[in-house]
Amino acid sequence: MRNSKLSLAVVVLAVIGVSAAQAQTNNASITATATVQTPINVIGAQALAFGNVFPGVNKSVAATDLTNAGRFDVAGQASAPVTLSFTLPATLSFGANTMPIDSYSGMRADNSAQTVGTVAFTPGASNSATLSAAGSMFVWVGARVTPATNQAQGVYTANVTMTVVY
Amino acid sequence: MKLTACLAIAVALLGAALPPVLGAQGKPLNVTGVRGLTFGAVFPGVPRVISRSDPANAGQFDIGHAKFAPIQLTFTLPSVMVGPAGATMPLIFGASDAGYSSPETITSQVGFDPRVPFTTALDKNGRAAVFIGGRAQPAPSQRAGAYTATITLTVTVLP
Repeated sequence: MRNSKLSLAVVVLAVIGVSAAQAQTNNASITATATVQTPINVIGAQALAFGNVFPGVNKSVAATDLTNAGRFDVAGQASAPVTLSFTLPATLSFGANTMPIDSYSGMRADNSAQTVGTVAFTPGASNSATLSAAGSMFVWVGARVTPATNQAQGVYTANVTMTVVY
Repeated sequence: MKLTACLAIAVALLGAALPPVLGAQGKPLNVTGVRGLTFGAVFPGVPRVISRSDPANAGQFDIGHAKFAPIQLTFTLPSVMVGPAGATMPLIFGASDAGYSSPETITSQVGFDPRVPFTTALDKNGRAAVFIGGRAQPAPSQRAGAYTATITLTVTVLP
């Protein structure tokens, strides 16, 4: 009987020893989530057109001029804040000839008729704006050219670039 | 005597088969995923960073075990989140994007690198919280939609 008790004690110690020697590991998981919004799409919808310009006579196209102002159409996530950045040429060029542009103006709206959400602004390196509830924005650019009195005759062009980022 | 020997073998085998979740003080090792890592609305081309101290968006695990138990934390981290039609978005973890908190408060953390195992010890209460932040890196042309990934924390009680 005494021997049996001794054996049982040894067994209990052995069990404890086995449990203590085993590596104890447990784990759990969580989920990382994100919702990517609609990418921005920008279209150059209409060129900024000064039309006929005469030497020595400045000519302006207003940003409110739906026919001649340059227009960009923006589509993206509804009601999202965005930043508009413009690269604006200082001159128009015709071969080696140049014609200065001395000012720019901007207008943005929620529709292409400039009747909803209209905001005038000065286009520059960083203009804050917000897309409409439909995720759209229309941006117009106007400017003024100042041809010299001896401005060479020809067709003058330059690129106006607008970049939109969230 | 034979009976005793058989009993000894049986009990020893039973002990070996026990799941290794009981500590020296008999407390189970518990690891619980409390809160997901939430980036929320992400815009294409605009990285979104969630700090491990962000009480609303940082991921959180809770750990419970014997007091003063030495432990090692090992994350299994995804490199991307998966979205619509199998689209992926990079998920980046930096050297201080995980935090360990014995008092289980997000405002009192010891930062560590979740990319490598981290060794520490539980406090006198045998409890701790682990927080994790990260950076979602959407491409400019990232496909719109919901993206998910799984983050796993493995806790090992050291001898």
